[in-house]
Amino acid sequence: MIYRIIQKRKIFLSISSLAVVASILALIFWGLNFGIDFTGGSLMEVEFKNYQPSITEIQDSLKDVNLHGLVIQPTENSVILRFKENDESVHQVVEAKLQALVKDKQDASYKELQFNAVGASIGAELKSKSFNATALVFIMIILYISWAFKGVSKPIASWKYGVAAIIALVHDIFFILGVFSVLGHFYGVEVNTPFIAAILTVLGYSVSDTIVVFDRIRENLPKSREDFENTVNRSVNQTITRSINTAMSSILALLAVLFFGGDTIKDFALALVIGIFIGTYSSIFIASPVLVVWDKLMHSKK
Amino acid sequence: MSFIQKFSKLSVRAKAWWILAIIVVFAITVGLTAGGNYYNAFAKNLANKTNNIVMLPTVKDLPFSLGLDLQGGAHLVYQADVKNIPEKDRAGALEAARDVIERRVNAFGVSEPVVQVVQGSAGEYRIVAELAGIKDVAEAIKLIGETPTLEFKEQGAQVTQTSGTSTTAEVVENWQNTELTGKNLKRATLQFNTNDGSPEVSLEFDAEGAKMFEDITGRNVGKTVAIFLDGYPISVPTVNEKITGGSANISGRFNVEEAKLLVKRLNSGALPVPVSLISQQTVEASLGSKSIDNSMRAGLLGLLLVSIFMILYYRLPGVLAVLSLLVYGLTVLAIFKALPLWLSLILVVAMIGLIYYTFNELKIFNGTLAVLFAIIGIVLFVYAQQAITLTLSGIAGLILSVGVAVDANILIFSRMREEIKLGESVSQAVEKGFKRAWPSIRDGNVSIIITCLILMFFGTSSIKGFGTTLFIGVSVSLFSAIVITHTLFVLILGDWLDKRTWLLGAKRKKVEENK
Repeated sequence: MIYRIIQKRKIFLSISSLAVVASILALIFWGLNFGIDFTGGSLMEVEFKNYQPSITEIQDSLKDVNLHGLVIQPTENSVILRFKENDESVHQVVEAKLQALVKDKQDASYKELQFNAVGASIGAELKSKSFNATALVFIMIILYISWAFKGVSKPIASWKYGVAAIIALVHDIFFILGVFSVLGHFYGVEVNTPFIAAILTVLGYSVSDTIVVFDRIRENLPKSREDFENTVNRSVNQTITRSINTAMSSILALLAVLFFGGDTIKDFALALVIGIFIGTYSSIFIASPVLVVWDKLMHSKK
Repeated sequence: MSFIQKFSKLSVRAKAWWILAIIVVFAITVGLTAGGNYYNAFAKNLANKTNNIVMLPTVKDLPFSLGLDLQGGAHLVYQADVKNIPEKDRAGALEAARDVIERRVNAFGVSEPVVQVVQGSAGEYRIVAELAGIKDVAEAIKLIGETPTLEFKEQGAQVTQTSGTSTTAEVVENWQNTELTGKNLKRATLQFNTNDGSPEVSLEFDAEGAKMFEDITGRNVGKTVAIFLDGYPISVPTVNEKITGGSANISGRFNVEEAKLLVKRLNSGALPVPVSLISQQTVEASLGSKSIDNSMRAGLLGLLLVSIFMILYYRLPGVLAVLSLLVYGLTVLAIFKALPLWLSLILVVAMIGLIYYTFNELKIFNGTLAVLFAIIGIVLFVYAQQAITLTLSGIAGLILSVGVAVDANILIFSRMREEIKLGESVSQAVEKGFKRAWPSIRDGNVSIIITCLILMFFGTSSIKGFGTTLFIGVSVSLFSAIVITHTLFVLILGDWLDKRTWLLGAKRKKVEENK
């Protein structure tokens, strides 16, 4: 059985365009919920034993410290506090105040599990570094694909495979950013350094997926008696099982992290799962259709 | 006939048995390296149970290097203010600051503290201190950022101390603190001795300090007093007479440069460069050990899920893939440890050699491939010798690499099924499956490796860790999918399999029907 994927490209391309537009709108209106890695500030995770102060209690106790942008978030067995200040002296005062909460309670104890403080300059530096790294990945990938597909020139030139792969990648990035914009707005999911690692990994993963499909097109082209559109469609069909299975096995491994990996890397795993899913989708439903659309456009011009 | 000639005359299957023997030795080696502690415990247990009849040799247990987020500790980043230091002196001043911080941290009893000078992207200087397993971070921060501790000490009663293990007794100088400290220092200046021109550091005390100094020298005439800086004696002069007037000279064992530096340190705070804490990350040890448990569980579960999926979907080849996945896992874990030079060399040479051999057998070997794998081999060799610090994100990279590791297998098996459906014999299909899947495997993995390299040079330590583990994972997965799965395949091929293609999950088109 052969799925008519390329023939139905208008449907997939429209859906994806809509998704990208929606993502851009989400980014414009809600932006991303940047964590302290980017904005600077403090994150404090503390644990109370045998006495669990309420959020209001914590808030009241910290009232005179006058913390900016204080957010208190209870987790399963700890409390996470976030605030803008990042100097050690403020940290000491907050510690003392929290410690005082359990002072006269019997058997109750207080422990600081982790404390992260990031200066604003480091955050700005991280932003520019992330941007540079992403740009570098893009450039290297175009170069590599152009080189790997250098023997292919008919009916479309090798660099166009690179551009089609990049279009799929841009689609992936916007989609993930859009999803995290929504998650950030409604569920407070933050974008931190690991998120950048996730994005870059997804780029590598998605392009490797796209390459597998393109490789098949390259292999089929010389001996194909069909036109370009149908050759591409056959190639996509021949590789679709593999694409889905590889994504499946990666996502299975990551689901384990998502459910058992602890709070710190959950968001990271989530970004990877979404990214791998969308990367696989784009290699099948975006990258190859774009090739065909491009081919058609060139013919209609002549 | 040389060994190689003899070997090349063997049948494909006989060769595969030899290769399998090498792989088994390889697997045992990486297994013992990765899980040395488990094996040693097992050997001990066995010896106990059999009354020391079965005595297995034990192996050296190499530890994993755990990041701060897994073992607990503090990661402190200090920004150094260098605007008052001439450009050419900056590097030296930062090194000096680094030394001071390291000395202060050492005094705190942290095991193997790492204190480094790093340069930010805009050229600014930073000092990063990593204090693993530290208990009282607040105290450490106070200690590091402190202004100099200048102390004046006088001699108490001399005591003789016998250390526990050795028999030699040593006289320990019993310095006792006086009330005078660096707090009472007004300023320090560089001077030269009027007699021999040797450099001296002159200290000027405030009124209170002058009085104290007078008292101290008064009661120690004929004895020595010591001047300690950051806990180390820098000068131990003998007092000749009571000194009044509130100034003292430190003279002796230093040259002009050292004296200048000393003056600078005393005046600007013992740190030659003012530093301010701009970022810190502190993780409590209990949270770290919980993270280890969680990620161990996640890793094992991930491996299990992927294995089940592979076997259910690909059947017999799936089983082979899982076997090579196990060798893959052990190899990656072994590389994470700091291996001795000879072992890293043997492992990497074995891996690259087997890859070259398998490519040669598949007749897809060429110069570009040789160079590509030689480069990957060299990088792996470098990583094998050093301990890869495992962090949470590194472990996530490792788990993700399990998913990526089976990708090459999936590509090969999918291709194989297609060939069988087209009517090829199983052995033909296996051969073609490997050969035809290779370009995709190569291009796909190279693009992931490119990404890994960029992640590795990205700078931030957690991202570096992720990139490094993913790189090691992807490289080793090429070895496991191509060499191990292929060798196992060659060994199980035969008529019996041709009759049971359902084991491969593919039904062959009846050739007769097509006629």
